[in-house]
Formats: sequence, C-alpha cells, structure tokens
Amino acid sequence: MAGSALKRLMAEYKQLTLNPPEGIIAGPVNEENFFEWEALIMGPEGTCFEGGIFPARLTFPSDYPLSPPKMKFTCEIFHPNIYPDGRVCISILHAPGDDPMGYETSAERWSPVQSVEKILLSVVSMLAEPNDESAANVDAAKTWREDKTKFQEVAERTVRKSLGL
Amino acid sequence: MAEADSGFNYDPTKNYDDQICAQQRDIEKQITDEQSLVSNILSFDVLKTEYQDDQVFQNKIQDIKSRYKHMRKTRGDGNCFFRAFGFAYLEHLLKDDSDFPRFKEVASKSKDELVSLGFPQFTIEDFHDTFMEVIDKVGNKISYEEFFQLYTDQGISDYFVVYLRLIVSGHLQKEEDFFMNFVEGGRTVKEFCNQEVEPMHKESDHIHITALTAALGVTIRVEYMDRGDSDKCNQHDFPDGSKPDIFLLYRPGHYDILYP
Repeated sequence: MAGSALKRLMAEYKQLTLNPPEGIIAGPVNEENFFEWEALIMGPEGTCFEGGIFPARLTFPSDYPLSPPKMKFTCEIFHPNIYPDGRVCISILHAPGDDPMGYETSAERWSPVQSVEKILLSVVSMLAEPNDESAANVDAAKTWREDKTKFQEVAERTVRKSLGL
Repeated sequence: MAEADSGFNYDPTKNYDDQICAQQRDIEKQITDEQSLVSNILSFDVLKTEYQDDQVFQNKIQDIKSRYKHMRKTRGDGNCFFRAFGFAYLEHLLKDDSDFPRFKEVASKSKDELVSLGFPQFTIEDFHDTFMEVIDKVGNKISYEEFFQLYTDQGISDYFVVYLRLIVSGHLQKEEDFFMNFVEGGRTVKEFCNQEVEPMHKESDHIHITALTAALGVTIRVEYMDRGDSDKCNQHDFPDGSKPDIFLLYRPGHYDILYP
C-alpha cells in the first residue's frame, strides 16, 4: 500500500503548501522520500513557548493513513506530553485502544480522515495547554502542576535555545 | 498472575504505553498471520470443533445448520462486520444485479455528501476511488475468482472498509438528532464517530449496522449466537421487518457470513 500512502502524502503536502496553517511549516525532508517530513512549529502566542521555533520529524508508516505517523521534536523541549527524547505523546497520534494510560474520552483520535495538518494543530494546542493526566515526561508534568514559575523558566530557556540564542 | 512470577515490577511513575502498544501490535500480527481476511466457503463443522465442549453453542450451531447451508469466516481484526458486509453484499450483486444501478448511484453520490458534512476532500478521495473501482468491477461482471482475489487483497480490502466506515460516520452525523440518543459515554455524535467509527479495527455495534444499512439501502439479517439459554439463535433484521439481502452470524465480538 506504499503507493496509496505516497499519493495521499503528496496530496497533503500540496494542501499544506496551498493553505498553510498559521505558525506551522511542514514538508518532506527531501522529495526523494515522502515518508519522512520535517516540521517547524512556532510556540503559540501568549504561552511560555511564545517566540520559539521548534523543529520536529514526522515518520510515516507504509500503510499511512490507515496508521498514524510518529512525531519527534529534534530540539530540546520540556513538556508533560513530550518524552525526554522528543517523541510526542498525544491522542491524535494513537488509534483508540492504543492508550492504556488513558486519554480523555473526548480526545481526538487517529483515523484515516485525520491529516498532518490536524496533528500539527493538535501539537500547537498541546504546547499551549499541557495535559498532565497522561504524562510522557513525568518530571515536566510534576513541574507544570506544582511549580509554574520554574516551568516557565525552563520553557523560556528552550525558546531561546530554539532560536540559537 | 502474580507479578513476581513474570519478573515484572510495576512502576507507577513510568509510562508503559509503548510496551503495551508493542504487545498489541504482536497480537495483531499473529491474527493477520493466522486468519485470512475472508475464508473460502466452510461447513459448520468448523464451529462444532471450536465449541467442542460447549453445549449451549452446540445447540445453537445445530439450529443454524438447520437453516443455513454454509458459512464464510472473516478475520477477527475489529473490521469483521464491515469486511463481512462488503463481501456478502458484493457477492450478492454478482449473482443478482437487479439492485446494482441503485446501489451504484448511492455509492457515487456519497462522496459529495461527506464533503458537505465537512470531511476534507483530500482525506476521503482515495478511499472513495477504491470503493467505486471495486463496485465497477462487480458491475462489469468479473468472475467469482477475480472478485475473491480483489476483495482479499489487503490494501484494496482495507480501503473498502475505511470507506464503509466513513459512510456510517456520515450517516450518523447527518441524522445526529436521532442517533445522539444512542451514543454512550456522554460523547457527541462527532466524538463517537471519531473514536468508534472512523478508526480501523474499532468493533461495530447495533448503531453502526443501523446506520450502514440505512445509508446504503441494503438489508441484513444477523443471527446472534451467544451464551443465552435458548437452543436457538436470536435474529435481528436491519431495518426491522425487511427482507434480508445478506445474512451474518454474530458471535460475541465477531461477525461471519452465512448462506441460506
């Protein structure tokens, strides 16, 4: 089914190029391989990640969009829903039933009618509103819950770092 | 099982999602390796062997055997209702094409309806294309062997199943005022569709069957083979009181195809 996946990824790339959502740039790392994308996500305004530009990798399976891609930030980012190694842990990257830790019942899930755009928009909301219920980074979740000032400081440091400052 | 036996110590500060997902992938792979998407025609002896020591099921198998000639199994991958429905109905159309023009019309129009409900065109196009290709081949009277080969091609079959799921989702959302009364867990119809209908491998319930049969104008009889006391299987026709086009066998969590 790699042929179908490629066709769909090309359609999504075209869509994202024609109507880019605010604060998001995404596309294949090179045109030879449509199954590996790079995304740049701007930290949402009015949050402690404001001003940052965070690079991430999306890796698509050969049966995409039946199965979701995986997403990993390639920069340092301290966040309850991002593993220390950068992997993103949000409900839309999982089909229902793939989350023994339990996402909220109203949480958006992966299905073949979701898209890269929907994932990236969810990631932007996740940056703005961490969900400490299903934590990928326990330390970050704890800091977010108990010491907002410290969380803010760490976030601002990663923002400066993401800009190479 | 005691944790000490497995050498596993649960650490509540750890996130086990990855390991559990990996285990789930293993189970899925095993099912894929062992069960075909749709089997050849089988006699009911296979069920008799499966439930060898189970009198309740033996009685019900006998009941089914008295009313049906044979069966066909589908893979237990959570898509079995849709897979069984698609196979049985297309096979029915291969034998009797009187309903074909009507069905084809409904199928072609369905894409525009989904777009008007807000599904982005680029997310549904490929599934609709495959859906129509399969239907057109059936309309062009391919042989049974060609049909079987087509429908058991994993890629084609999965895309066909996805599109049936989208039809169900579209119908539930279109008739939201009615179906909202049947959605469990305090969810909206849209949330239910996103979580229980659109994703692959999510099992089907009454609500899916009701929506699919209504949306496509196809009638189904389901024979329920469960642990209930009766010697006979309960049956339910969708929609109520219709003359069924196709027949499915339900066992808890699974649908197969029946032939009268």
